[in-house]
Amino acid sequence: MPKSGRKKYRPPAVLALFADPHQLLHAIQEFREKGYRGLDTYTPYPVHGLSEAMGLKESWMPRVTKGGFFTGACLAFIFEAWTMAWAWPINIAGKPFVSVPAYMPVTFEGGILIAGISTFCAVLIAARLIPAPNFTSLDASLTNDRFGLYIPVRPYESASVQEILRELGAEEVKNLA
Amino acid sequence: MSDTIELVPHVDNPTAWVDGVPLYRADLTISQVNRDLTAAIFRKPNKFWLLGMAIAHLCLFVGIYVVWVQLHVGMGVLGLKRPGMWGTYIVDFVFWVGIAHAGTLISAILYLFRQRWRTAINRSAEAMTIFAVMCAGLFPLLHIGRTLIAYWLIPYPNPRHLWVNFRSPLVWDVFAVSTYTIISILFWYQGMIPDLATVRDMHPNQWGRKFYGVIAQRWKGTAKDWHHYESAYGMFAAIATPLVLSVHSVVSSDFAVSSIPGWHDTIFPPYFVAGAIFSGFAMVITVLTVVRKAFNLEDYITMDHMELMAKIIVATSMIVSYGYIVEVFMAWYGQVPQENHIYIWIRFFGPYAWAGWTIVFCNCIAPLIFWFRKARRSLLLLFVVSIIINIGMWFERYVIIITSLSQDFLPSNWRYFAPTWMDIGTFVGSLGLFFINFMMFARVVPVISIAEVKGVLQNQVGEPRAPKPLTGGKNAEVRA
Repeated sequence: MPKSGRKKYRPPAVLALFADPHQLLHAIQEFREKGYRGLDTYTPYPVHGLSEAMGLKESWMPRVTKGGFFTGACLAFIFEAWTMAWAWPINIAGKPFVSVPAYMPVTFEGGILIAGISTFCAVLIAARLIPAPNFTSLDASLTNDRFGLYIPVRPYESASVQEILRELGAEEVKNLA
Repeated sequence: MSDTIELVPHVDNPTAWVDGVPLYRADLTISQVNRDLTAAIFRKPNKFWLLGMAIAHLCLFVGIYVVWVQLHVGMGVLGLKRPGMWGTYIVDFVFWVGIAHAGTLISAILYLFRQRWRTAINRSAEAMTIFAVMCAGLFPLLHIGRTLIAYWLIPYPNPRHLWVNFRSPLVWDVFAVSTYTIISILFWYQGMIPDLATVRDMHPNQWGRKFYGVIAQRWKGTAKDWHHYESAYGMFAAIATPLVLSVHSVVSSDFAVSSIPGWHDTIFPPYFVAGAIFSGFAMVITVLTVVRKAFNLEDYITMDHMELMAKIIVATSMIVSYGYIVEVFMAWYGQVPQENHIYIWIRFFGPYAWAGWTIVFCNCIAPLIFWFRKARRSLLLLFVVSIIINIGMWFERYVIIITSLSQDFLPSNWRYFAPTWMDIGTFVGSLGLFFINFMMFARVVPVISIAEVKGVLQNQVGEPRAPKPLTGGKNAEVRA
């Protein structure tokens, strides 16, 4: 597909850069109380208390891992039993065909393998990660030493929102449109 | 929305301190952390690095030549002769898998125990894990003698309708080591994504930004990203912990499940796992003493970190020593003549006594110096003793594998095992491969987890204090 040359549409928003994570948490609280929705934050490291401040629900990663583990372990065990006892039963050193203790290591490793791969894929899906050679972030300092707060605004309230953000200690406020 | 959001940092978070001292210098800022930890990527390599690379390549070429000769001429060029059909290749395999274990211990087990000091060393230790497993994987592939059909180890539907024997420890090994490799790579890569994004955003040239853009995968660090990332990281740690304990247990089962005297031993799994962590930490100390000097990371990998690792070395050394004592005691207590012969006689007083006493000195006596604080804080001693431990742990596997096979139940079969220079050449080659990989890694990826160090700095608010006394508890006031 040829590129249309049009810039991707971005809804009007304000990006505030804070130097201190606690100011960011305060700002989130202020704006959520004011009724703003669709807030987002950009931080260089996981800030303690941010998930609670943003009101995020419990992550679904543990469920993926548990599901992956049991799926992998069951599949591994069934596969072992099928190959050893049904597809081609061979008597080796008089061991039973379905020898549960001897199957345990591979069953366990199979569970761990599927659990790990599914967890990794779940992170890619949850954080929408995909290789992007031309990706540019909103501000280079967001992965360095600044804490960003992204607030979608209606065009007429942009100025007042920026004013409030400066009062809350934002070092820099950008108008994204 | 609730009004009870925690808006103050965890000033009382004890994990950012070690013995009342903060992990990192109080005047470090997070932009400074960024600069220091990415410096190695943007700088031109120094002479020290180039020299290391040259030596490592030399070692690798020796290894490649030896493997080429072996593939052309046959396995006879090695010291493998009946009855010792498991020779130094299996020793090398167990040694490298052992080296790999420290990385997962640091990244997973210490994470579950909330030991924040792991942040400075986990990235490089995990990298060592992956490169060590790569080296380990080479040896069984060469050792099976028909390397071209190594894929027969994998159970795949084939025209002969044959399947691998799932009741054999050798097949467990294939599954354990390959699972371990895959999980280690995923865990390592997932932990790197935020740091790769940092490098992407500060890279001075366009191709660099493109390259890091591909591997950092649009990471933005939004609240939701971190939320899921942290949860997944915890889950990874939770599955990697039993995995790391299982892998070396499975490797030890290769021996323990057989009936050869010297192998037929129930202490093997825990004893192998402790030995693996012991040798792995020794290798981590060996490499990190050089890395912190080469990349000027003394502010991040501090002497406190080195000291903590030395403490782990002492602890695991004691467990390994206990394993040796139990082996000998059980042989004596059980009064099986063949076991007495192997465990007591030939390992300590017979033809292999030189190796037996080497491991006693290197693994039981040498690490005892770390009981002294001065020794734990001396870089030279740390480096020298860690090398001694590496040598000792290699010989430990040598003693276990070689002695038991060379004199088993049938005296007419006995033969002294003598490795050839080909055996040594392959091991030298694997060392070269390991260090080439590690030095390349240090130039492409931040050797220390930037995001995690920043997180620890945030918790270092407040005054350093004396360590808590070991008294008190819930009812301290009541008792007082």
